[in-house]
Amino acid sequence: MSDETLPLDRLLPLPHSTRGRVLVAIRFFAVIALIGAAIATPGFFTTVSLFSLLNTTSFIGCVAVGMTFITLSGNIMAFSLGVTLSTSGIVFTAALPLGLVGAMIVAFAFGAALMGAQGFVIGYFRANPIIVSMAALALITGCATLITHGQGVYPHGTATAALKGFVFGIPIPLFAFVVSVVVAQVALSFTRFGRNLYMVGSNWRAALAAGLDPARVVLGAYVAAGLCSALAGILMAARYSGGDMELGIGYDYHAISAVLVGGTAIAGGEGSAVRSLIGAFIIAVCQVLLLLHGFSTQVQYLTIGIIVLIVIMLQTLADSSAG
Amino acid sequence: MSIALDFVREETAEPRSGGIGGSIVTVRGIAKSFGPIAALEGVSLEIQPGEIRGVCGENGAGKSTLVKILTGVYRPDAGEISVGSVPVTIESPRHAQELGIALVAQELSLCPDLSVEDNIWLGSIRVPFLHKKRELRRRAAETLELLGAGHINLDAPVATLSMGERQLVEIARMLSRDARLLILDEPTATLTDVEIERIFAALRSVKREGRSVLYITHRLAELYAICDRVTVLRNGELVATRELAGLDRSLLIEMMLGRPSDEMYPEQAPTEGGALLTIEHLTLPGIVADFSMTARRGEIVCIAGQVGSGAAEIISALAGLVHDASGDFTVNGRRLKLGSPARTAQRGIMFVSGDRAAEGVFRRLSVLHNLVATRLPDHSLFGFLHTGALRAAAARLAGHVGIDRRRLAAQAEQLSGGNQQKLAFGRCVGRAANGVLLMNEPTRGIDVGARAEIYRLMRRFCEDGCALVMASSDLEEIVGVGDMVITLYRGNVVGRYRRSEVSMHRIVADITHPPVPAP
Repeated sequence: MSDETLPLDRLLPLPHSTRGRVLVAIRFFAVIALIGAAIATPGFFTTVSLFSLLNTTSFIGCVAVGMTFITLSGNIMAFSLGVTLSTSGIVFTAALPLGLVGAMIVAFAFGAALMGAQGFVIGYFRANPIIVSMAALALITGCATLITHGQGVYPHGTATAALKGFVFGIPIPLFAFVVSVVVAQVALSFTRFGRNLYMVGSNWRAALAAGLDPARVVLGAYVAAGLCSALAGILMAARYSGGDMELGIGYDYHAISAVLVGGTAIAGGEGSAVRSLIGAFIIAVCQVLLLLHGFSTQVQYLTIGIIVLIVIMLQTLADSSAG
Repeated sequence: MSIALDFVREETAEPRSGGIGGSIVTVRGIAKSFGPIAALEGVSLEIQPGEIRGVCGENGAGKSTLVKILTGVYRPDAGEISVGSVPVTIESPRHAQELGIALVAQELSLCPDLSVEDNIWLGSIRVPFLHKKRELRRRAAETLELLGAGHINLDAPVATLSMGERQLVEIARMLSRDARLLILDEPTATLTDVEIERIFAALRSVKREGRSVLYITHRLAELYAICDRVTVLRNGELVATRELAGLDRSLLIEMMLGRPSDEMYPEQAPTEGGALLTIEHLTLPGIVADFSMTARRGEIVCIAGQVGSGAAEIISALAGLVHDASGDFTVNGRRLKLGSPARTAQRGIMFVSGDRAAEGVFRRLSVLHNLVATRLPDHSLFGFLHTGALRAAAARLAGHVGIDRRRLAAQAEQLSGGNQQKLAFGRCVGRAANGVLLMNEPTRGIDVGARAEIYRLMRRFCEDGCALVMASSDLEEIVGVGDMVITLYRGNVVGRYRRSEVSMHRIVADITHPPVPAP
C-alpha cells in the first residue's frame, strides 16, 4: 500500500515511557559490557573455547526454543523439557535398529507426544501449567527409571556417527540449533499458528471470546516444545553415544534462563525465538568467561541465578511502567 | 509514643483548618507534560469546604492526571497547590493522605478476607502501637453510621459485601484518616442504581461534615444529581467551572466536546427484516430462567438490566462463553448449539466484551494484530500468512472504524478506551452477510465523543441485514439506541418495548422493581 509509512516505531520498537527506555538502555549496556569483557579476557576468542561455547549453547538453545513456545503461550515454563530430552534420547538410541532416520522420527514423535499430552491437559482443562509439568516430570522420570532400571541405553554400531559430523563446516548440533531457531521464528512470525500463539499468550479470555480456539493453540505450543526437546535429545544421545536420564538434568532451568534473558515476557504474548537464541548466547558467554577466569561451576550457577533475578526484576519494572 | 499522642490530639481537638471562607484545596496554573504531550496546562481550581465538585471531560482531557497530581503520584511541572492556605509540594500518595487528600480507589484496594473494621483501620497512621480496640471499634461504627451504612457488620469479611457496600467501607476508611478532600474517580461504573443512591447519600453526609469531594465521572446525570459545581476539562486545559444548578445539559456537552453536540444517537432506518436470531427457553442455572427473544435483520435489540440481572450473562451465553446454558437457538434458519465460542463465531455471531482489558482486546499486541485477529484464515495459504494482505485488511478496517492508520503499529493498550472499543468492534464487522453482533455494555467507560461514534458504527453494522444484540445498564443508551428493548429483573423478563413505546421511566421502573405477579 502506498499510503503505508514505516514509522520509527516499527523499525525500532522502543517503549514509550521513560522508565521503559531506561530499562532498554540497561540491557543494551549490559550486552556491551559483556562484549568488552570477552575482548578483555585472553583466550576467549580462541577456536577451542568458541567451539565449546557454541556446542554447549546448541543443546540448551534447542530446549530454549521449545521453551519459548510455552512461555509465549502464557504458560510460563515447563519443568518437564529436560526429562523429555533425556527420554527422547533413550528412545532414539533404542530405536536405532530402525535406521537413523527411522529412529529420529520415532524420537520426535515420542517427544511431541510427551509434551502434547501435557499441552492437552493444560489447554483443555486449564490446569496450572507449572504443576502439570512437575507432575509430568515425576511421572516420566518414574516410568523411564522403571523401564530402563536406571541404566543408560547404548547403541550397537556406529549409526550415530553421521550426527557428529559437520554441515557446511559447522558442527551438526550448532547447525541444528540455528535451523530450529529459523524454523521456529518463521512459524511465529509468518504462520497462523504463530499469530494465534501471541494472541492466546497475550490474553486467553480475549482469544476465547473472539472465537479462536486457545486450547488447540496451547496444545500446538507444547507439541512444538516437545519436538525441540527431542531434537536436543537426539543430538546429545549421538554426541555422548547413548541415552540416559542424566542427559537433560537442569536443562529446563537453563532454557527458561535463556528465554528470559533474551527478553521474552514471562507473562506471555511477547518475545521471539531469535531473542531466546540471543539469551542462550549471553548465558553461554558468561559461563565461558567465568570458566576462563578460573571460577568454579558453583560460581557459574550463582551468576546465572543472579542474572535471571535481575532480568525478572527489570521485566516487572518495565511492566509496571507500561500501564 | 508519638503516634499514640497524635491519635489523642486528633480525638480532642477538632480544628477545621482552612476556616470559613477559605478553600480546602487550591490549585493554581498546574501543568504536566509527558514527553511532547501536554496532559495538563494551566489548570486552576479552588475547592470550598463542604463542596462536591464534579470534574468531567472526554478521555484524555486530563482528569486522571489531575487526580494523580493531587494524590502525589505525579509531580506537576509548573503551578502550585495549597492545602488550607499553606502552599505544599505533594510528594507521595502517603504525603497526600497526611495532608487530608484521599483517593477512593477505582479498583477497590480492600483486603477481601479481613473484616470491615480491620479494613477501615488497615495501614492507618492513626492506629497506635497498642490497639485501643474499643475506641477504634466505636469510631469505625460511627463513621459507617455517618455514611448511612450502619447496617454493615463490622466483623463481616469484606468479601461478603456487595460492590456498593465495599465502596462505602472504602470511603469510611478514608474519612477515618481525617480526609478533608475525598476524590472519587468513576465510582459508579460497577454499581447498581440502588447502590449508587447509597453512595450519593454518603457523600451528602460527608458534605454536611464540612469536608469536600472531588467527583470525577463520565455520566452527566450523576453530575446533576450530586455535584454543586462542575469543572470541565478538555485536552488538558480548563474550559470552565460552573454552578450546576441551571446549567443547560447540551451546553455542558458542548463544553466537553468543544463543539455543538451532534445527535448522539443516529437515526434508525425503519427496517422490518425477517428473523435472524431466535432464542427460546434460554436458561442459565441460578441466573436466568426461560428467556426468549427474536432479533430481526437491521435491528438493535437491547437487553436492559442492572448489574446482576442476568442481561450481561445472556449475551455471554449467546457468545458461547457460559458452559451450562441450555435452550433452543436458531441463526438464519439453522439451529446452533451453544457452549463453544469458536463454533458460534463460525456461524457469524461475533462478540464484543464490555470488559475490554480482560476479554476485549489483546492489550500488548499491535493495533494491526488486534484488527485482523479473527481474519487470519482469510489471508493465509496452508497456514502461512499473507502479511501484505493482512496489513491492507487492517488499514481498511482502521479506516472503517475511524482509527488513525498511522497507529497500526502501536500497542493496543496505548489507545484510549473508546479507541480500544473500536478495535474490538473492527474485529467483528463485515465478517458475514447474516452476522449477529453481541455486545456487553458497549460504551462502558467511554467518553461522550467516542460514544456517538460507537453508536454510529453499531447502527451501520445493522444496515447490511445484520442484527445487534446488546446488554446495557445505561438508561440513556438503552432508550437512545434500542429498536427493541427487553427489560430484565433478577433473571426474569419484565417487559418488551418497541422503540416507539419505550420511555426512561418505564425502564427504570422495570429494572429496579420486582415484576408484579400476574393475577
